[in-house]
Amino acid sequence: MSLTSNTAHRLIAILVSPILFAGCSDRGDSSFVYSDRTLSLMNEAQTGFKDVKGVRELVDERFGNPQTLVAWQKLPVDFGGIACSVATTPDASAAVKSLQFEFAEGNSVPEKVSSLQFVTGACSGETAAVLKWDAATGTATLVSALQNAPAQGDQVTFDGGSTLKNGRMLYQRHCSHCHGTSGDGNGPTAQYLYPRPRDYRHGVFKFTSTNDTSKASRNDLTRIVKQGIPGTYMPSFLLLNDSDIHAIVEYVRFLAMRGEFERKTASSLASSFSRDAVTSRVKEGEKRAEIVEELKAFIGADLKDELGFISDELAETWSVAQTEEALVTPKIPRVADTIESRRRGRELYLSKTLNCANCHGISGRGDGPQTTDFEKNPVTNELYPEPGLHDVWDNLNQPRNLVYGIYRGGRRPIDLFARIHAGIKGSRMPSFKNVEHEDIWHIVNYVLSVPYEVEPGASASSQAAAPAAAAASL
Amino acid sequence: MKKFWALFFYFWPIVALYFCWIAPESNWWFPGEAMSPMGVRIESLFYLILWIVAIVFIGTQAALGYALWKSAARDEGQKAWYSHGSHSLELIWTIVPAFVLVFIALYQMDVWAEYRVQSFYPDSTREEGSVAELAARQFEWRIRYPAPGKKLSDEPESDDLYWVNELHVPTGRPVKINLRTQDVQHAFFSPQLRLKQDAVPGLIIPVWFEIPEAGEYDIVCAELCGWGHYKMRAKIVAESEAAYKAYLNRLQDEQNEDGYKAAEEETN
Ligand code: HEC
Ligand code: HEC
Ligand SMILES: [Cu+2]
Repeated sequence: MSLTSNTAHRLIAILVSPILFAGCSDRGDSSFVYSDRTLSLMNEAQTGFKDVKGVRELVDERFGNPQTLVAWQKLPVDFGGIACSVATTPDASAAVKSLQFEFAEGNSVPEKVSSLQFVTGACSGETAAVLKWDAATGTATLVSALQNAPAQGDQVTFDGGSTLKNGRMLYQRHCSHCHGTSGDGNGPTAQYLYPRPRDYRHGVFKFTSTNDTSKASRNDLTRIVKQGIPGTYMPSFLLLNDSDIHAIVEYVRFLAMRGEFERKTASSLASSFSRDAVTSRVKEGEKRAEIVEELKAFIGADLKDELGFISDELAETWSVAQTEEALVTPKIPRVADTIESRRRGRELYLSKTLNCANCHGISGRGDGPQTTDFEKNPVTNELYPEPGLHDVWDNLNQPRNLVYGIYRGGRRPIDLFARIHAGIKGSRMPSFKNVEHEDIWHIVNYVLSVPYEVEPGASASSQAAAPAAAAASL
Repeated sequence: MKKFWALFFYFWPIVALYFCWIAPESNWWFPGEAMSPMGVRIESLFYLILWIVAIVFIGTQAALGYALWKSAARDEGQKAWYSHGSHSLELIWTIVPAFVLVFIALYQMDVWAEYRVQSFYPDSTREEGSVAELAARQFEWRIRYPAPGKKLSDEPESDDLYWVNELHVPTGRPVKINLRTQDVQHAFFSPQLRLKQDAVPGLIIPVWFEIPEAGEYDIVCAELCGWGHYKMRAKIVAESEAAYKAYLNRLQDEQNEDGYKAAEEETN
């Protein structure tokens, strides 16, 4: 059957069933929500004054909203776009409409270009729409003239922000119903899940290959997105292609940085200008008008420096996570997985100094004595309604039942080594970075054997299994 | 007006015929060519039934249209004729479908047995055991292989290999997998292989298939298992015996990764 008749058939089929296609349209607007911490500030601190910006605007001008994302170049995020520079301009005036570009070696020439942004030179910051792009000669024809004259060598980005935009689109489709549009872990399906979907806004991720004080690296997040988190509702997105996963990961990092920035900015105002603080200050005799004046002065002067520190720290910590030094690296290879090693591991597990059993229980079932205590919320100082450990997100944080043999952060020896060495960030699983690496390996060998027998060597069959497993690990 | 209704009932079998005709050819809601020998046999059964159903449907519609047309042509004064209670007619429309059903039941027996009855599975799959466990869960497919050279056991072993959403199998010979679910009911469906089997909580269901050609084949969930049902997709990667072995060895190496070698490279 020829192609055209095929199309005709399809057309008929579509005409016969128009009802199937009704109601499918892209839902347009969405916006980031502000954190509870921001919303707890007095109104003036949130919205600012005529000439001084409040927290909401300070966040929005740096990060934008889902439909109008801002690429704040300070952040170590790959916003996307192709870097190139002006090769020749026909004449050195602002009126030029046709420019030739050259690409650094190794950068492939794009087939389509819809916009370009000047990064350096007189036009720095200007964005121009591209009418026509000739890939063969590298010539772009602009829709309208620039405000300043471009010069040879000016750095330009083609289609800047394309990765972030793609990431947003994919995130909205695949992740936001759990993790929320703002990455607050509060999407529509979140309330039915335990553990809750991650709230990215703390900038904290649990399952990382980095040491206890470092953030998650891109590789860590990529691994999570590809593999999912077994034993939780976080599914695997392995079938997405690599460039889509890269875009999603950059978007998740962007949301985490946005959350962290907002959180820290609001925190620096919270002690003096939260609604509660203002109420008690007024009670103690201060006038509200004076407090507002103080706020205005504070935002105008001190907060500026503060914002500088916050953004420097953001850029620094997220960049450091990408370095080799931040990785947890065992000093010695895995110790052979023998009965003796497992026994040593169990000794350490039960020892008073490490006391894993206090949380995970003597037989590893996640039922240690600490799980029955009532804890205080460190912020409100009130007892939690349910007994057990709580994490930085204020959720109940059950120590893992090690008998199931499901490891959320991965089951490779290095994964478990990193979990024990660096702890599980944000959760109550502490870091044991001061423990000798050899001992950590003994514990890893023990933990990996728990699903098969809690007491190493207790059953005869394990004697046969152990040497085989040890051989496999060489 | 009366004649309109007669024509109306003639119209539908024509539309149906048209769609039956174009659907397979324009690949409209059809999963393409069957990619396994069993798939080809299942497909021929499908077409057999499609033909029988199409003929019966068109025949009954034509009869209905004929009855309407004839009555519409009759003049108003004529008395109605009641055909209700005709013994021979009833015999015909009971015995003919019964024959058709018995025919289908017998005709498909060997395919069904080989497809579903374990004692009729290819001998090699019964000797070899399952090559992997495919555990459905909301909303992904978790995969467990035995360590290279070992047999899969029903309960996890310490040296098993794990992956998710991508099942590797060798081409050119029948392979069997153990289908399970970790939560609710799901269904393993591979359209290109014409293979569908429910995963039922508490059961281990062996499923076998053979893929002659290397390539990627879809796995989708075919049981409405929750809100994320639609995105419960995975793939089968069929590859030569050598590539399959290499894959398992790679997986094993990765799973034994202790992070130490990386440190060595760093100091070099
Ligand atoms: C069905 C709900 C659901 C969907 C859909 C979902 N997640 Fe998750 N995600 C979770 C849950 C639940 C957790 C927390 C697991 C835990 O705390 O152990 C999580 C955790 C995470 C984490 C934190 C990992 C860590 O180390 O702390 C990241 C990153 C993440 N998800 C990214 C994504 C991305 C990206 C997508 C979309 C491509 C996505 N998630 C889709 C439920 C979901
Ligand atoms: C203060 C309580 C506490 C102590 C002490 C503790 N853990 Fe944990 N552990 C936890 C909690 C809580 C989790 C679950 C964290 C999460 O996923 O949110 C956990 C998770 C784990 C995991 C699961 C990792 C994964 O990828 O799923 C392992 C393994 C583990 N702990 C081993 C140990 C070992 C070994 C020790 C002692 C050296 C230890 N824990 C000490 C609380 C504790
Ligand atoms: Cu399903």
